[in-house]
Amino acid sequence: MKEALIGTERLSKSFSNGGAMQHVLKNMDLTLYQGDFTVIMGASGAGKSTLLYALSGMDTPTLGKITCCGKEISGLSSDELAVFRKEHCGFVFQQIYLIDTMSVMDNVLAAGLLVSRDKKAVAARAKELFHAVGIPEETQRKFPTQISGGEAQRVGIVRALINSPEILFADEPTGALNSKAGLDVLDTLTKFHEEGLSVVMVTHDMRSARRGNRILYLKDGAVMGECELGHYKPDDKARHEKLRAFLAEMGW
Amino acid sequence: MKRTMLFARSNVRKAKGQTIAIIVLVLLSSAMMNLWLMLSMDYERNFERYHDKLNDGHITLAAYTNGEDFKSFLTGTLDDLDGVTGYCISEALCTPGTFAFDGGEIMANFAVLEKEEALLRPVGTFEIAEEGSFDSGVYLPVHYRMEGNYAVGDTIALSLGGGTYSYTVCGFFHTAMTGTHNCGIVSILLTEDRFCELAEKGGAAPSTLVSVRIQETEKNKEMDSLLLEEISKAFPDTAVYHNCYSDVWTARYISPMICAGVMSAMACFVLLIGVVVISSNVVHMIQEQMQNLGALKAVGYTSRQLIVSLLAQFAGITVVTGALGCLLSYCVFPAINEMMTAQTGVPYEIRFLPMPCMITIVFISAVVVAAVYLSAKRMRKIEPIVAIRQGVATHNFKKNPVPLERTSLPVHAALAMKTTLSGFKQNVVVGITMLVISLILVFSGVMFENVIRDMQPFIDMIAGESADSYINVNRDMEEAFLDILAEDDRVEKRYLYHTEQIQHVGGLSVEGVVSDDFTKLNNQSVVIEGRFPEYENEAAVAAKYARENGLHIGDEITLKAGAGEYTYLITGFVQTTNHLGRDCALTREGYGKIGELQSVTYYLNLSEGTDIDGFNDQITERLAGSINASNNIQAIIKGSGSVYVALLTMIVAVVMVLSVLIVLFVMYLLVRTLLNGKKREYGILKALGYTTGQLVLQTALSFMPAVIFSVAVGMVICARIINPLLAVFLGGLGIVKCTFTVPVWFNLTAGAGLILFAFAAACLISLRVKKIAPRELLSGE
Repeated sequence: MKEALIGTERLSKSFSNGGAMQHVLKNMDLTLYQGDFTVIMGASGAGKSTLLYALSGMDTPTLGKITCCGKEISGLSSDELAVFRKEHCGFVFQQIYLIDTMSVMDNVLAAGLLVSRDKKAVAARAKELFHAVGIPEETQRKFPTQISGGEAQRVGIVRALINSPEILFADEPTGALNSKAGLDVLDTLTKFHEEGLSVVMVTHDMRSARRGNRILYLKDGAVMGECELGHYKPDDKARHEKLRAFLAEMGW
Repeated sequence: MKRTMLFARSNVRKAKGQTIAIIVLVLLSSAMMNLWLMLSMDYERNFERYHDKLNDGHITLAAYTNGEDFKSFLTGTLDDLDGVTGYCISEALCTPGTFAFDGGEIMANFAVLEKEEALLRPVGTFEIAEEGSFDSGVYLPVHYRMEGNYAVGDTIALSLGGGTYSYTVCGFFHTAMTGTHNCGIVSILLTEDRFCELAEKGGAAPSTLVSVRIQETEKNKEMDSLLLEEISKAFPDTAVYHNCYSDVWTARYISPMICAGVMSAMACFVLLIGVVVISSNVVHMIQEQMQNLGALKAVGYTSRQLIVSLLAQFAGITVVTGALGCLLSYCVFPAINEMMTAQTGVPYEIRFLPMPCMITIVFISAVVVAAVYLSAKRMRKIEPIVAIRQGVATHNFKKNPVPLERTSLPVHAALAMKTTLSGFKQNVVVGITMLVISLILVFSGVMFENVIRDMQPFIDMIAGESADSYINVNRDMEEAFLDILAEDDRVEKRYLYHTEQIQHVGGLSVEGVVSDDFTKLNNQSVVIEGRFPEYENEAAVAAKYARENGLHIGDEITLKAGAGEYTYLITGFVQTTNHLGRDCALTREGYGKIGELQSVTYYLNLSEGTDIDGFNDQITERLAGSINASNNIQAIIKGSGSVYVALLTMIVAVVMVLSVLIVLFVMYLLVRTLLNGKKREYGILKALGYTTGQLVLQTALSFMPAVIFSVAVGMVICARIINPLLAVFLGGLGIVKCTFTVPVWFNLTAGAGLILFAFAAACLISLRVKKIAPRELLSGE
């Protein structure tokens, strides 16, 4: 029996668009489980990223309730949400969003030292993660504009994991990368998932989606369908076909 | 061109707050610059107009004799002198005296004239400014109405010679050369009955008032000295009070000079800050709009067109704001004029002055345009394709200041320090601003400590010697007078401190201070170099006069008074403003080499709680007929000093308010610029879990190293230079060395206050961080 990690009740999110309200998420009831690699897919405008940022406390819902890591976050203030994020969540963005004026190492430590004051321990953890994702020491001293996109995204993953979050949110992590770099990033995410990390990833790329064990398909702000793929194996054709069929059924 | 103007307009739209703050800085600097120019170009010349309108003399003499031989000597001398274009010799009654003024007393050498005769004077005309229907009483210079102390119909008690006389104020009159107690001579007009009464009672000596006009105004000092020399040769025993155009102008225009000086300094400082801020804004804007600039260049716009559009934007703002600043200066000018007129005693009619406005607008616009051009010319180096890709590096990637792995600072302080070390321009702006504000604070502290809180240091420097009472007694009664003082246990100290006219042979006339023992003086700081004279062949001279005439300690100076002439060794330099830096000090024996004292003035220190006026009255009564003058020095100081206290209190208040505004505007501009540049970074940090409070703290802390360093350095430097700087300001008055106490407690408190205020302002303005939401990082759906 899987343990629930995130739950929503009648989650709604609306934006004002030129005076007219745009309802992006509509009364969504959803449960995400610990240890899952959940992939959220859907057409452009379906509400994928909006759902991701609402679930992670990056944004607040218009209506409804969100419980994440055992804590109801829908009523928290922006500062309380910030504290929640640093304690429980890690983020990987499509645009990577490293801080250009800080070295690679400092980008990671800026996140790590927010939670722990033990500088040595944080630095050691950073080095361990850098090693795990294949970022050599000389690259750690460089600035983000001096490294490749793939390297930068792997630094982004290290930054997301520096505080050992309970859950990692990834918003189109391969969207801005070439196929080789994208593959490296997906391998990295898969590796950490296999080590027990819960991952929620938004993507519109089927190759990325194959890494998940649970696929949610969103349409018009609601979950249209879901598919259980089971444990990821690189050459599992049946699994691949199951995903293809599911997506075809969803109108992908 | 239209599209390039769109670029400029979009800069204004994107940086509304910065544009407003720049407008305020330009507005303030142009208002202060226009005020300064109005004061220095026109206000100070008002005296010239006033003087010409009244056809007043360039030299005024009040001689304590009205003998026909003296008058005929004067007539002959003035007729023979080259350059004299007119003169008027009038009968007068002259005496030192006092009257109540502005909560204290004013002491002056009065020249009392009969009103009807005085109004007919062709040179040195007295013009009635206001009169009532009273036919018996006194007419006062208009200055004493402006101060709000007296009005037509009031009763004024004048202490003249040994007696006190009450008169009804019948009216007020204009006079350029004898209109305030700073002029050396104060004229008052009495109606015929009162004039005859005063003459009969012997309250003032029958005298002669002479006004002399000369062709070349700039030679007034030389002519003054020449006339005094001629008179002292022919009438060595006649006391003569005198003034000349330059000295009266300086004495009456101290306040406008100080005010103009402060205005000019403030205008320059604010403009400097504005220019640095504008320059920083332009550089930042270029960085922000790099892609737009690249796109415009790519479609064929030249760098010149883009620079011109920026120049047009800032020049337009500056010209309009400069004009508004000039308008603003006219709004505050009436209040300043009122304050100034109270000190000058010369009414000034405010009117539009196109030249100062033009100079202000053109100068400020030129400075701003130059600053914008110098900051914007880097656009020429931007390659379109590089700019479109946002590839122009704005950060030095060779250095990683304060690496988090190695620093011992807490993470928020370390991140703030990174911002500090990467913001060179930000630090320069902060540094300049804080240096300027430090100077203002140190100036305010010095004025507060030495003038507003306790006037004594200011009085010591400006007035020189002060005691509780001074009494002038005829020489033949000196011993009896001293015996009375010796018996009176209220007298704690008495010493001779007498002033006589002395001529420097080969130079100008100077005021000689004669004392029997200079070590008894209460204010030993009058000697700023060397020492007072101790022997009969020694003299100390005014530092300013010595400097102007190339005199040094150890040199010899030949002085004469009447027929006597003697050469003295200069032992030291003294400094007071009483005679605008034309003094010399001699021992009594020393003065005896060139003249004989007809009367002697003693300064007295009385025991605490003594009624000074009552004491003076008692002494005057006991030696009736031998006391020429007795005065309450403390009351005189209070009366004379109140004008300066009021003026400096106003200046300190205004500069403090301006300082607060400047700090706020500068911090606003810097924080806004910083936040605009760090919007993305702060969004990322918020997404990682940094709270608004932590980012506000980081932002405010990033300014603190520059603030603390520049305030500390500024306070130390300014504390060291404030006295020399004030000496430059007050140089016209005869001050060459200021020795004001620099209050360390005030500087420390003010410095700490400034740092805390800057921090609080930065925190407050940084609260805009709250608006930066991590969801802005969301990728498009």
